[in-house]
Amino acid sequence: MKKIFIWVMGVMGVMGMGACDKIEEGEYTIYDGAVVSWTEGAAIADPVQRAYVEKYTGPRCSNCPTADVTLAGIHNDRVVVVAINHPVGQGMPYPGQPDMRTDGGTAWDQYFGINAIPAAYLNRDRSVQFLGEMGNIVSAIDAALGETPAVGLEVSATQGTKVDITVDIQFLRTIGSPLTLTAAVVEDSLVYKQLMPDNTVDEGYAHNHMLRKVITGFWGRDIEANGTEGEAVRGTLSFTPSDDIKTENCHIVVFVSDKGTRRVLNCASCRIE
Amino acid sequence: MVDNIMKRKRIVMIAVAACITMAAQGQGLLGGHVTGNVQLDGQMSSADSTIGAQDVPEKLLMNARADILYTNGDFSAGLRFEMYQNPLLGFDARYKGQGLANYFVAYNGERLSVTLGNFYEQFGSGMILRAYEDRYLGLDNALMGLNVQYRPVEGVTLKALAGKQRIFWDYGEGLVRGVDAEVNLGSLVKAIGESRFRATVGAGFVSKYEEDETVPSAANAEMRLNLPLNVGAASVRADIGYGNWSLQGEYVRKGQDPSAMNGYVYHPGEALLLGLTYSQRGLSASLQAKRIVNMGFKSVRSQSGEMLYINYLPAITKNHTYAFLSMYPYATQVNGEQGLQGDVMYKIKKGTLLGGKYGMDVHVNSSVVVGLDTTVTGGAGTEGYEVKGGLGETLYGDVSVEMAKKLSKNVKATVTYAYQVFNPVVENEPGGLHHNNIVVADVSWKVSKKHSLRIEGEWMGSDSHYDANDPEHNDRRAGDWVMGLVEWNIGTHWFVSASDQWAYNDGRGNYYNLSVGYTKGATRLQVGYGKQREGLLCIGGVCRTVPASNGLTFGLTTSF
Repeated sequence: MKKIFIWVMGVMGVMGMGACDKIEEGEYTIYDGAVVSWTEGAAIADPVQRAYVEKYTGPRCSNCPTADVTLAGIHNDRVVVVAINHPVGQGMPYPGQPDMRTDGGTAWDQYFGINAIPAAYLNRDRSVQFLGEMGNIVSAIDAALGETPAVGLEVSATQGTKVDITVDIQFLRTIGSPLTLTAAVVEDSLVYKQLMPDNTVDEGYAHNHMLRKVITGFWGRDIEANGTEGEAVRGTLSFTPSDDIKTENCHIVVFVSDKGTRRVLNCASCRIE
Repeated sequence: MVDNIMKRKRIVMIAVAACITMAAQGQGLLGGHVTGNVQLDGQMSSADSTIGAQDVPEKLLMNARADILYTNGDFSAGLRFEMYQNPLLGFDARYKGQGLANYFVAYNGERLSVTLGNFYEQFGSGMILRAYEDRYLGLDNALMGLNVQYRPVEGVTLKALAGKQRIFWDYGEGLVRGVDAEVNLGSLVKAIGESRFRATVGAGFVSKYEEDETVPSAANAEMRLNLPLNVGAASVRADIGYGNWSLQGEYVRKGQDPSAMNGYVYHPGEALLLGLTYSQRGLSASLQAKRIVNMGFKSVRSQSGEMLYINYLPAITKNHTYAFLSMYPYATQVNGEQGLQGDVMYKIKKGTLLGGKYGMDVHVNSSVVVGLDTTVTGGAGTEGYEVKGGLGETLYGDVSVEMAKKLSKNVKATVTYAYQVFNPVVENEPGGLHHNNIVVADVSWKVSKKHSLRIEGEWMGSDSHYDANDPEHNDRRAGDWVMGLVEWNIGTHWFVSASDQWAYNDGRGNYYNLSVGYTKGATRLQVGYGKQREGLLCIGGVCRTVPASNGLTFGLTTSF
């Protein structure tokens, strides 16, 4: 009997300590990224449907370069790729190498429950995960690009003392559910060690589309619009890149997603001018 | 995703139904048996501007359900089919649809019970966990998952569960986990079991997990709330008795749980429920006290309304049954309240001056609920407020005296007087306190072996008044009211009733109802026609809005 009580109280104690988060006073709020200012926008000429690919990768992942080849083969102006460094295991940086892990990327990684890389999601559809060489992602992207866009989306970015971003959104059909806009900066041509399929380490491997920072909150900012067909809004925001980001190698990536399901409706990217 | 759930449900429904059918057909082989019940409620309503009833475009609304339970020794399996085409007035439109709403398989052994699928459960008084359904409230927060109970020795019950809660035709994203232990000391310790002392103690812990989301800070647009993903609630409780006395108590503590219900503040939750009762032949008395602070506990933080509550906060006001006594029901204030309730039932003996030939039952009940005494310190993303030891604003109070006396062999009369104070803020409505005096007379007359008659008269005088153009006074319950009801039971099968509620002085509305019913065995059919006043239906402090309606209603229940 005594053992049973000890067992029960032990289980309850473990649950009590481990299954109740305590947020310290002073930490009730956290930085949520740049604020988007919304104004009335203009209609978008020739809106197109693009595909948003979120790829989870890591420098100690021998199969990741193969996935990179697959995605490089289909990358064009209608396919927006964001590569996220897995926060643990094969995502750990080699000693002395740059750490490409980001808070935003880690939050997204945990949201998808990534436990093996390479892995990818198309338009944040959690029901289909692409793994390994990702040969089947090509047909999925083709299908996604064939859909009629629900929103038109364009982005531009200019650099002064900070990077100013302008996003134009037009509702091409009425959407009843709330939408969010997420903006991120990705960088190409980052050279650091990568484990290759033959288990050698390539010290000069060029990593592309690497997520460097989620500019808005991790889950985006609410789009202030009624969501009625034809409505157009313009969002402006800015951020100051850190010194380790080479803006000349960067793209600004933006995507519009459903606030509830987090499915991406459309995306766009641009270079920083 | 919902489509996938519906497909899975269909597969499970077919499989469970096939098992039950095969088992039922082979009762001799398997030795099991099938029981069930069916309920159907329908409503037709047309517009009536005098009571605020809206037209029903579908003309006919219908709620229906069928529960089927197969049991075979320690094994049982069940399912429930529900249909809302379309939901009756006052039921959430998101119920619209039909399908398998509940299914489970269970093993109930002497020491071990295991349920897989949908299940209902309660820890203690329910203040940290109560998964239950109330079809009249349109409430069902059944858990879908695993529920295990283990009884290692007599008097000891250990429970562990995990699952997700039902929300209409889907399940909420929040994951609920819980453990509970209860020990009856009288069963464990022989000396206690043989004494006049009784004691049961228990403790439980419930935790919910929910993914992170962006909730902006009200104070700074660039900040968002740092939300706890795991929120826990723990309770300790005891039920101690000696002779005619018993004392029940439960204390609950809940971790930070910023949510839509509490305005996303981080103040921890706390609740205390105490009850002292005394009973002897012809007399029983009880005193209850309750204090709750920020105890709304849902598995989805952004959810408002009555769905997805993990816990239940017991009401501390009497659940009245007479029409005017229940016209202003009390809705539990999950963000904070404190109250007292006293209840005395006394039977005046036969042969005394008041008792007469048959004796007389006297029932006195009184309750008062007030808010918390708080100082607001901030909004979303802060502690929210400080709680002090004083009393907040009056939310509800009532005192009722009920005397029931058999006047002759065939006539019984009950007279009730009540005084109520009601604050519309408990329904999130503006306006000042309503003060009501209510008198009810209820006479039952057994006319013959096959016929009985019940006549009820009610009156309510109120200091409230109705004004359709004033938001503080557009409550259609306002004003003075009278009501009459006649109910005639014909034989063992038929009954007919007619009633009318009429508001006068500063009130508005005339609500008549005619009803006919037929009962045979376990089957009951009822048809009614009349007007329904808008208001709240509350059961145990949990409420749903009942809109005004005007037209035909019908209901059928049967069991097998």
